[in-house]
Amino acid sequence: MSATVDDRPEVHAALAATRGQAGLAAALRWETRKLRAQLRSRALLLGALLAPIAVVVVVSAQSRPPKDTLFGRFATENGFAMALLVLGFASQWLLPLVTAVVAGDIFASEDQHGTWKTVLTRSVSRSRLFWAKVLVALGFGLVALVVLAAATIATSALVVGRQPLTGLSGQVVEPHSALLLVAAAWATMVPPLVAFTCVALLFSVWSRNAAVGIAGPVVLGMVMQLVGGLGGIEAVRPLLLTTPFEAWHGLLASPRFTGPLLEGCTTSLVWSVVSLATAFLVLRHRDITGG
Amino acid sequence: MSAGAAAVEVVGVTKTYAGLVAVDDVSMRVAPGEVYGILGPNGAGKTTLLRMLFGLIRPDSGEIRVFDRTWADDDVRTLDGVAGFIESPKFYPYLTGRQNLEGLRLLDGTGLPDRVEEVLDIVDLTGREDHKVGGYSYGMRQRLGVAASLLRSPRLLVLDEPANGLDPGGIRDMRALVKRLAAGGLTVLLSSHHMDEVEEICDNVTIMRRGSVAFHGTIADLRTMAPDPGHLLRTGDDAKAVVVGRLRHPDIVVEPSPDGGLVATGSERGLAAYVADLVHAEIPLLAFTPTRTPLEALFFMLTDAEADPPSRPVVAGACR
Repeated sequence: MSATVDDRPEVHAALAATRGQAGLAAALRWETRKLRAQLRSRALLLGALLAPIAVVVVVSAQSRPPKDTLFGRFATENGFAMALLVLGFASQWLLPLVTAVVAGDIFASEDQHGTWKTVLTRSVSRSRLFWAKVLVALGFGLVALVVLAAATIATSALVVGRQPLTGLSGQVVEPHSALLLVAAAWATMVPPLVAFTCVALLFSVWSRNAAVGIAGPVVLGMVMQLVGGLGGIEAVRPLLLTTPFEAWHGLLASPRFTGPLLEGCTTSLVWSVVSLATAFLVLRHRDITGG
Repeated sequence: MSAGAAAVEVVGVTKTYAGLVAVDDVSMRVAPGEVYGILGPNGAGKTTLLRMLFGLIRPDSGEIRVFDRTWADDDVRTLDGVAGFIESPKFYPYLTGRQNLEGLRLLDGTGLPDRVEEVLDIVDLTGREDHKVGGYSYGMRQRLGVAASLLRSPRLLVLDEPANGLDPGGIRDMRALVKRLAAGGLTVLLSSHHMDEVEEICDNVTIMRRGSVAFHGTIADLRTMAPDPGHLLRTGDDAKAVVVGRLRHPDIVVEPSPDGGLVATGSERGLAAYVADLVHAEIPLLAFTPTRTPLEALFFMLTDAEADPPSRPVVAGACR
């Protein structure tokens, strides 16, 4: 080690004039860089791209279609039905997991690596770091959803075909309209996906443990699926975060109904706001003692 | 920063965790350009105090001013011109050393010059900067921590146990670096539980014990308070050696050591005369080694966990 601190007057003058907080954009760039450097996030996006291709190819090769699932009856002979079949499966099991892998880890990994003290002793506030992480986790969830949807729809159309789609009311939907409806159905995943991301962020902040941050929202989703399947809970069902994942059904009926979609947006918004507000307060008032 | 403002001013700071007082009404002042040591055994409250300085934890009461700024009024701007690390520096293992530094530079705000290459050179990490930090040795991470601190071109460098975990060569290099940085006019606040480290580097020192201040003052003041040096004696006839000491050298204390042999405590002149008498009495002298330096002895006296803490800190002289 051989040199000394930069004590040139011009350097100090420049520093005095320009020193200040790192902005949200800088924190965002830092969090994005970190995410891009992680093997896990890249593998997840690659999985979102390749898994639908494999699923579509395997299901389309089955001699007997999965008749007991929504649109399963037509999945082997209609590409749009295949894309909706995959959507039904992904919304129940996959999307909460995909978003939780990043969101559930993004705060807890700082505890795991002991790096809170590294970043919080720079010129960035906890608030800005918090919002940068939130935006990156939300961004990743949305990118994963877009990749999954695009891969599913494109592969289904190419492998199975673009025949007219039979809707939930028995109506026939022409291919062009069917494509728009399928894309819209995938787009309805955004509100609950955002809400699950926020729940995962809360688990990550609160537990300080990546495993809990990732598994927590997934287990919560499974419990909600089970509760949602019980009878006599009509008053509770709209409050469940898994219910908005089924709101797309109304788009495929004739006439269309969007009530569940609006209800799902409200539910997702409430879950998101409560989760984020709680996570923010927990982080803001936390003593950083580890690492 | 107002004229004459301290680099760090701690006033009556207290922090309690679940009923345990980690820092108890601590006050201290670090002047600009000073190398200040916070000394104490593990659990004395040094790291908690530094964490409060960095805003990582909040004091229950009291105030910490850094270049006349406080967390309550200035939030993260309190750290303008401040850099350092708490305990061992931590980095993202899946990023390279350079990527870590470049990322931290982003979080330092605008206007700082790009000194990544320069600081890597200062800490001798050139050539390893593109390796992932996960593969770095402890000493390399410690040096990367110093590099990350220097990246901020600080006026105040805060180092918490900087030599911890380093091999003797690393300790030597780290101390030399701190001395060079201090010689360049940097204010250094350094915590340690090694008396020799603080004695070698610091101008002023605060000794902490169980969260409280046990001593404030200069290293020179500390030296004047230090007890006589103790030496471990191994002789061919310890019983006879004790008798010689008691009969002929009342100015020194000779008593059996719990680890075997004898411990002789007294002035250097008294000890020299005692050893000469042992030789004269034909008692074989097998070993004569210092037990601990006087400052170490004083440190243990001030921080001994068995003893009751002093009701008020020993203050010897004013800080610069």
